[in-house]
Amino acid sequence: MLERVRFLDGRSLARSLNIVGRFNRYRSVGLLLSTRQLTNGVDCDAERVTAKPIDSRKTFLVDSYKHLMEKNSVVLFLHYNNLLKHEDHHYRSQIEQLGGKLTILRNNLFKLYLKNSHLEDPCAPVKSKNQSKRHPLLPLFKGPTAAIAFPETNPKDVANVLKLLEKAQDKLFVVGAKVETESYDLAQLNKYKLLPDKTALQGQLLGLLHTLSGAGLVKTLESASQSLYLTLSSHRDNVKSEGKDD
Amino acid sequence: MITKFFAKVVVRFNPFGTEAKTARLLLSAIPPAQRIQGAQIQNEVLTSDSVKVPTVKITFKDKTEMEVDPRTTSFQEISNIFDRHSRKLSLKESIENS
Repeated sequence: MLERVRFLDGRSLARSLNIVGRFNRYRSVGLLLSTRQLTNGVDCDAERVTAKPIDSRKTFLVDSYKHLMEKNSVVLFLHYNNLLKHEDHHYRSQIEQLGGKLTILRNNLFKLYLKNSHLEDPCAPVKSKNQSKRHPLLPLFKGPTAAIAFPETNPKDVANVLKLLEKAQDKLFVVGAKVETESYDLAQLNKYKLLPDKTALQGQLLGLLHTLSGAGLVKTLESASQSLYLTLSSHRDNVKSEGKDD
Repeated sequence: MITKFFAKVVVRFNPFGTEAKTARLLLSAIPPAQRIQGAQIQNEVLTSDSVKVPTVKITFKDKTEMEVDPRTTSFQEISNIFDRHSRKLSLKESIENS
């Protein structure tokens, strides 16, 4: 729970900017000039080597999955059962109101990302033996899969979404999740959603340390330096008294 | 797979297990319109420490029940098993309607 939250370094930020740039290029030619200008300063495409063409949809999607998994601390994976258009629209807007974002995933590309997620660039050409094939989330990508991503670690959001999905029954249900760096199954997720949020937990830890310090934690920490001070001061006194005697 | 004659579908599986592929492909093979027309679909997600056995159980419209273990059968095999009975029903229906 209280593990490190990974922050993007400068290079991956540049890459994510590139994602935005490329996405815009897909959407309209009119934006092309402005995005080129935007990405001009940080363009790392020049030296980037990818297995698929750099401006292909596959490269874009794998980059976007990297972005999805690294920027969002909680990601729920769902079985997405061919919903009707209005149902899809309904669930999308409901999830958005609860602070999440629903994305339909392409299984093979997502699996590729998971296998390469320990590498610096998941799109780069890689030998099969260098891929990690034991990623705990890999078995989830069989059949239609979607993801709901939350940028903040807040169990209450997860609880709300799970409550919403209870009504969806077989249409949309959770099969697994990624919380910070751990992967959870449904039972673990049900336990997780009952926890207070991260700041409250940190507050609890702080409170615990405070009450402990009243009893003796501070004393224990201070005792070493205190005893050193006492020894030295008694030694000084000894030296002084010896000087007087002479 | 012919899903037209399914009245009730019960699927129980662990998404991390070997049965997940068969079970989830079966669930996705049932068109959303059929749910509206009244076919009951029940699914239960198991976890690694649950004692229940993963299963696929289908009740047809003529009340025949069929149960298959998704751990040992692929989706193709499962659909062949169910289609065998569905074809019987469709033949019967076409004779009755003529």
